[in-house]
Amino acid sequence: MIRLESVSKVFKGDVTALRDASAEIQRGEFVFLVGPSGSGKSTFIRLLNREEVADSGRIMVAGKDLGSLSSWRVPYLRRNIGCIFQDYKLLSKKTVSENVAFGLEVIGRPRTVIKRQVPAILELVGLSRKADRTPDELSGGEQQRVSIARAFVNRPLILLADEPTGNLDPATSVGIMRLLDRINRSGTTVVMATHERGVVDTMRRRVIELDRGVIVRDESRGVYD
Amino acid sequence: MIYRLWYFIRETVVSLWRNLSLTLAAILTVGISLSLVGTSILVREGADRATAQFQEGVEFIVFMNADHTPDQDVAIRQVLDTSPAISEYAYIDKMAAYEEFQVLFVDKPELIESVTPDVMPPSYRIVPADPDAANVAELARQFSTQPGVREVATATDAIRQIEDFSTRVSQVLLVAAVVLVVVSAMLILNTVFTAIGARREEIEVMKLVGATNWFVRIPFMLEGMIHGLIGAGLAIPSLFIVEDQVLSFFQESDVVPLFRGFAVPDGFVWDTSLWLLLLGGTVGMLGSAIAVTRYLDV
Repeated sequence: MIRLESVSKVFKGDVTALRDASAEIQRGEFVFLVGPSGSGKSTFIRLLNREEVADSGRIMVAGKDLGSLSSWRVPYLRRNIGCIFQDYKLLSKKTVSENVAFGLEVIGRPRTVIKRQVPAILELVGLSRKADRTPDELSGGEQQRVSIARAFVNRPLILLADEPTGNLDPATSVGIMRLLDRINRSGTTVVMATHERGVVDTMRRRVIELDRGVIVRDESRGVYD
Repeated sequence: MIYRLWYFIRETVVSLWRNLSLTLAAILTVGISLSLVGTSILVREGADRATAQFQEGVEFIVFMNADHTPDQDVAIRQVLDTSPAISEYAYIDKMAAYEEFQVLFVDKPELIESVTPDVMPPSYRIVPADPDAANVAELARQFSTQPGVREVATATDAIRQIEDFSTRVSQVLLVAAVVLVVVSAMLILNTVFTAIGARREEIEVMKLVGATNWFVRIPFMLEGMIHGLIGAGLAIPSLFIVEDQVLSFFQESDVVPLFRGFAVPDGFVWDTSLWLLLLGGTVGMLGSAIAVTRYLDV
């Protein structure tokens, strides 16, 4: 599903974000990217949905070589990839269901499909009763659930999560991780960057550890360190 | 498809409304500049018609009798071809004269019906080597005595004054209009830029979930185009006011009889209106296209 071959990325001012990184992630895997701040986790994620382009090496995602993917095809790649973030990126003026619907609307899904899928996904993330609230009326955990609903409503092959529990207390984080686990069990590949030891140690999934842009560890059923 | 169209319309209207003061400024500027463009075109057209026969340096016209003989033509041409006082000339035959008559009086069909090509006098339009008034008068006098010549009409000072006046007026208007058109394009660019800024979060999400570049851009392009079109819509009534008040004022003037030809045909104002709509839409599209390509890095 995802393959990196000797991928390097250097930012302006010679900041090496990723150096000679190689990894292969199979369909349906759940992978934690761990490492301290600035170790290259976010760059890893941003390379996968083509927000950044690698300086060297090759990246294959869902059968596409991202290096040779023309820019007009990038949106179609992204329709196969759901993204969630530490800061949720919800639209504050739209309600919960409008936020989720927006994700379908702007990729041209028909109205009938949207009317069917939005309530179903809100049911899955447990927010059916708050469909008409706006984000600022929700707790952090609930907001992240909305963001997951938006990322998953289009049933992507891959879900990328950049510190999704970064702003949440441990109890709420457990709920979010259960949800991500459930999504993963439905066949979606999940790649999650985190530096929360508790989350990684409880889940016991594959761990890729980065240190100053270099992959220093890759073990299945791993722990944080 | 219809849903998508509805989405574009909804987003465009919301954005226009959110940005109301800038939107109004852009629309008014487009309206004013296009009014000037239109007025300039009307004045130019009116003057061209008033002085149609005396264009491109033609200082006097020799009208032949409708029933003149070929010999008389030959004699005139010989003078025209050999005289060093004549720079160039053009022969307008009966048919060409009739066609010109039809164009000039297109909105007076009863007048056109009353003539046929047969009765139209053929003529020579003559550009003298020296356009000095006294020289032209002397040449005109010489030609008027030639056999077969019905009359000689000279471009009087009045005609030259109309030409000068209208050229100057339409040029000044046009320069002002061009400046204002550029200003309105820049205002539209800024308005669209502000609209993009106001929706930065939405745009980020759109890109994230895989909206195509055009899907993101189209509402902003439409917004710019609507500025241009509404602006042009405001300019159109001003054209009718110019035609109704200014041009007709000249036509009814008793002071200078020549001004009576100062008119534009019926359809001309509508034609000009269409051009203004096209120009307005283009300026709007252009302004917003620059804005989305510069500030909407998708």
